[in-house]
Amino acid sequence: MRNTIAILFIVLIGSAFYLLTLRGIAGNPSPSAFKNNLDQATKPFELSPERGRYAQIMALGDSGTYELSQELADIVYPDVGYYQGKFFSFFAPGISYMALPLYLLGKQYDLAQITTFSFIPLVGILALLFLFKIAREILKLPLWASLTSVIVFAFGSTAWSYAITLYQHLPSVFFIVSSFYAVWRYKAAAPWGWLWGAYVWLAYGLAIFIDYPNALLMLPVIIYFFVASLHTRKEQNKIVFSLRGAFLATAIVFIGIASLHLYHNDYYFGSWKVLSGSLPSYRSIQEAGGELSQPLERKNVAGYFLEEKSPFGFYTLTVAPDRGLFLYTPIFLLSLFGIFAIRKKINLEYATLLGLAGVNFFLYSSWGDPWGGWAYGPRYLIPSMAILSLFIGVWLSRDENSFLRKISTYLLFLYSSAIALLGALTTNAVPPKIEADYLHTKYNFLFNYDFLKDDKSGSFIYNTYFSNSLTLQEYFAILYLTLILIAAAILFVLPRVKYLKYES
Amino acid sequence: MNLSISIPKIWLGWARGQFDKIATEKGLLILSAVLAIAATTYSYLHGYVVAYGDAESHLNIAKRVVDSLTPGFAQLGGIWLPLPHMLLVPFVKFDFLWRSGLAGSIVSGTAFIISSLYLYKLAKLITKNIPASFVAALIFMLNPNILYLQSTPMSELTLIVFSILSIYFFVRFLYDDREITSLILAAAFGFAAALSRYDGWLLILIEAGVLILYYLPWKELPKRISEVRKKWSRIEWHKLEGRVILFATLAFFSIFLWLIWDGLILGDPLYFTHSQFSAKSQQQAWLERGQLPAYQNLPVAFLYYFVTSMSNIGVVVFLISLLAFLVLLRDKKTTHRFYILLLLLFPFIFNVGTLYLGQSVIFIPHLTPTTFDWTLFNVRYGLMMVPFAAILVAYLFYRSKIAGKILIGGLLFLQIGLFMSGYSKVISMADGVEGLSSAISKLPDAQVYLRDNYDGGLVLTDDFARTISIIRTPIPMESTIYVGNKPYWEESLEAPEKYATWIVMQKDDEIWRNIYEQPGPNGRLFKYFVKVYTSPEILIFKRNPDVPAG
Repeated sequence: MRNTIAILFIVLIGSAFYLLTLRGIAGNPSPSAFKNNLDQATKPFELSPERGRYAQIMALGDSGTYELSQELADIVYPDVGYYQGKFFSFFAPGISYMALPLYLLGKQYDLAQITTFSFIPLVGILALLFLFKIAREILKLPLWASLTSVIVFAFGSTAWSYAITLYQHLPSVFFIVSSFYAVWRYKAAAPWGWLWGAYVWLAYGLAIFIDYPNALLMLPVIIYFFVASLHTRKEQNKIVFSLRGAFLATAIVFIGIASLHLYHNDYYFGSWKVLSGSLPSYRSIQEAGGELSQPLERKNVAGYFLEEKSPFGFYTLTVAPDRGLFLYTPIFLLSLFGIFAIRKKINLEYATLLGLAGVNFFLYSSWGDPWGGWAYGPRYLIPSMAILSLFIGVWLSRDENSFLRKISTYLLFLYSSAIALLGALTTNAVPPKIEADYLHTKYNFLFNYDFLKDDKSGSFIYNTYFSNSLTLQEYFAILYLTLILIAAAILFVLPRVKYLKYES
Repeated sequence: MNLSISIPKIWLGWARGQFDKIATEKGLLILSAVLAIAATTYSYLHGYVVAYGDAESHLNIAKRVVDSLTPGFAQLGGIWLPLPHMLLVPFVKFDFLWRSGLAGSIVSGTAFIISSLYLYKLAKLITKNIPASFVAALIFMLNPNILYLQSTPMSELTLIVFSILSIYFFVRFLYDDREITSLILAAAFGFAAALSRYDGWLLILIEAGVLILYYLPWKELPKRISEVRKKWSRIEWHKLEGRVILFATLAFFSIFLWLIWDGLILGDPLYFTHSQFSAKSQQQAWLERGQLPAYQNLPVAFLYYFVTSMSNIGVVVFLISLLAFLVLLRDKKTTHRFYILLLLLFPFIFNVGTLYLGQSVIFIPHLTPTTFDWTLFNVRYGLMMVPFAAILVAYLFYRSKIAGKILIGGLLFLQIGLFMSGYSKVISMADGVEGLSSAISKLPDAQVYLRDNYDGGLVLTDDFARTISIIRTPIPMESTIYVGNKPYWEESLEAPEKYATWIVMQKDDEIWRNIYEQPGPNGRLFKYFVKVYTSPEILIFKRNPDVPAG
C-alpha cells in the first residue's frame, strides 16, 4: 500500500513539475516559424537536436515520409545528412517515430509542439517509477531513501532540463532502468518470466533505435541478462551449462526491431549498414556554394570515440566549470560514498549498475564533443545520473538515523535542485567555455541566471499563464520552495513516520 | 525449455592439462618467442623496425665500435648509457642486421622473452598461483606497445629485462634473507639496469633504500636517536651493514664506472648531464618556446606520466591495476607489499622527477595542447610501467573469486578489442611512425639523392643533427666522418677537402656553422667541392676531382 501511494506520489510530482517547466508554445508551428524565431534561446527549438527530431516528425506526420523537404532541411541545418538528393536529420530516428502519435493528436487541437514534447516527460515519469522499483525491490532501500533517489534524479540533476524537451536522454534512461528491472524479474523466475525477457530485448532494440550509442550503454544489462539465464551444475562426470530457452527465444523481439531498423536504413539511406549519423553532411554542400565537386564521403561515427580524448573528456564531464557534473550537481558526490559502502557486497545487480555508469563515463569521456554541443550540464551523463542517484539512497540507508547524512544530502539537494530548476526554466543553449570565451559570454548556469533575471523562460505554462502576473524569479521561487519542502518531508519526516509506526 | 551443453569432466581435465603445459616456463618461452618473431616480422615488413630516429642512432653507435674510421669502445660516447649498445655490437657487425635494424630486434626480442618469463616468476613468487602468474606474463606479452618496441633497437626492453630480473631476485631475497645469492644477483642485474638507462639508477637506489628499511626494527622504534644502537640487536645491525654494502658495492659500481668513463673519455664525469647533447640541453629549447609544461610543476608532471603510462598499458588494464594497487595496499597477508610496490613504481617516480626537473619531456595528444609544435613525443617512457600493471592485475586475478576472474578475463579481451578497433592507439609505435620521435616520417629528399648517387668515398656529416639516415644509403659506416672520429672531424671542419669526398650539411648543424658560415672553410668548400644537391634545408657537396688538394 505504501509503495502504491509512493508511486502515485511520484506520478503526481513528476507530472506537476515537468508540466510546469515543459518547453513550448501553443499552436502548430510551421517551418517558416523556426528561423530567427523558434530557434532562439528559451524557445522550444533552440538547439538542433530538438529541431532535427521535430522536423522529422513533421515530415512523417504531414508528408508520410522520413525524407526532409528542403524547407525542413534548412531548419535542421547544420545537422543534416544528404543522400541522393534527399535530406535527413543526423539523429537516430526512434524518438521521431515514437512521438509521432502525440504530434498527430496535438495537431488536431493546435498544440502539436506541446503534445509532441510531452512524450519525453511521460517516458521520464515511467523511468522514475522504475528507479523507485529498483531502489525498493532490488536494492531493498527504505521508502524514504528510495524516494530520495527518485527526486535527486528527477529534480536534483540537470536531467530535468532534458525531461521537458525533445531529447533522447530520458527515453534512454527509461529503457536502461526498465530493462534492468525486467532482467531482475526474469531472474526471479516469475511465472511470466519469458515476457520480462522479451521486454529486455524490446527495450534494447528500441534504445538503439532512439540513440545508437545505447547499443554499448546497455551492454551491461544484456550481460546481466545472459548471466541470469546461464546456470551451471556439476554432475558426476560432467559439468552442465544451461541457458534458459527464453533468453534465445525472446531474442526474436530484438531481431524483429533490429530488422525494421535496418530496413529503414536501407529504404532511406541506401544500405542497411548506413546510420543516419554517418550520412554525408549537407553542410559540406552549403559550404561549397551548393556545388559538389566530388562525391561526399560517409562519416565514420565510431572514429569520434578515441582514448586520447578521454582525459579531457573525463575532466569536462566531471569537474570542468562549463559542464562538470560535480559543479552542477554536487549531490552526486554522495553517490561515491554509496559505492564505497557496497564495495565488499557487490552482487550481480550492483555490478551491473556500476557497469552501466562505468560504460557511460568511459564512452562519453572519449567522445569528441564531451560538452554535448550547447547544453546545460553534462547531458551525456544523464544515464549515469539515474544510476548514481540510487547509490545516494544506498548511502543514506546505511545509517538511517544519521542526521549528518540527511542534512548533507539536503544541503546538497538545495544547491543541485536550484541549478536544475534554473536550467529547466530557462535554456539549454549554453555554450561550452571554449566558445563562450570567443563570444565573450558566460558559459555555465551563470549564463542562465541572466535569463532568470530578465524573465526569459522556455516554460509553456509560465509564458502562457503566469508571465503577466509573476516574474520568472517568483515563479522559480514557488517551484523551488515547493520542491525543497517535499525533499525535506521525504528526508526528515518520512523516516520518522515509519519510526513512530514501529514504535507503536 | 533450456538449452544445455554438457562438458565431460575429462575434457576439462584435458583443457587443464593443456593449460598446465603452456603455463610452464618452457611453454612461456615458446609462446613469447613466437610472439616476438611475429611482431618483428610485422615491423620488418612495414618498415617500422628503425622508425624511431633514436633506433638508428643506437645501431650506429654500436656499429662504430666495430666498423668506423676510428673503431673502438670510445665510440660508445658519454650520453647514452653503454650496455644496450654493447649488446648490439656482435650483431651489427653483420651489415644486413645493422641496416635492417634486426640486430636490435634480436637484442630487444631476447630481452622480451626473458622479461616475460621472469614476470611470470615474479608473479608466482608473490601470489604462489600459476594461472595468475600466467596472466601477468600474458598482459606483458600481448601489449602491442611492448610487442612493437621489442622489435626495434630501442633500449627500453633492455632496461625492462634487467629491472625485472633485479626486482625478481631482490623480492626473493626479501622473502628469505638467507638467500645471499639472490641479493648478489639482484645487485648484478641492477648493475646492468643502471648501465642501460638512467631509470636504472633510481631502481638500485630504491633497492638499497628498501634494504635499509627491511632491517629497521619498526616494531621497536626508539624514542631518541641515541637509543638506536642500544635497541637494535648487534646481529641486525651487522646484517644491515653487510647486506647493504654487498648490494651497493656491486650495483652502484655501474654509476661509478660511468662517471669514470665520462671523466676519462670526455674529460667531465658529469658530461651526460650538461653537455650540448644532454637531455637537459635539448629540453632547453622547449623551455624557451614555453613548451615544457611539466617543468617545475609537480601535478602536471604527475599527470603527464600517469596518462602516458595509461596509454601504453591500455586504459582498461591500467584501471584494473589501479584497483589492484588499492587492494594490495590493504592486504596485510601479502608480505613486503609496500616494498614490492615501491620497486615496481620506480619508473613512475623516475619519470615524474625528470619531467619535473626538465630533464625530459613528453608530449601526448591526450594532454598536450594542439597549439604546441608537436603533440606526440617520447611517449614510450610510459612503457616502463607495463610490468607494474602486469603484476598488479595478476595479483587481483589471484585474489578474485571465479566471477571476478571471468570479469578480469573479459576486460582483458575488451582491452585487446580497444587496441584493435583503433579506439586506443598503439601510441609508442605511433610516435615512431608519425610523432616527433619518428625518423621515417621525416626522411628528406636528400636521402634519396645519396642513395642513388653515392659512389664511394668518405662522407662528412653531422650525426647528431640526423641530416641523413646512413643505414638507408649504401654508405659504409667506416666511410663516414662524424664528431666521434678524431682527428678526422676536427681537421675536416678546417680543411674539408682533406678527407671527405662528400659533405652533407643541414642548416644550422655543426658542419653548416663551421664550414658554410665561416669565410675560410667556405672558400675551400667551393674551391674543392661542387654543390650537387640543394634543398631549402640540406646541401650536398661532392669533391671536384679536377681540383687537386693544395
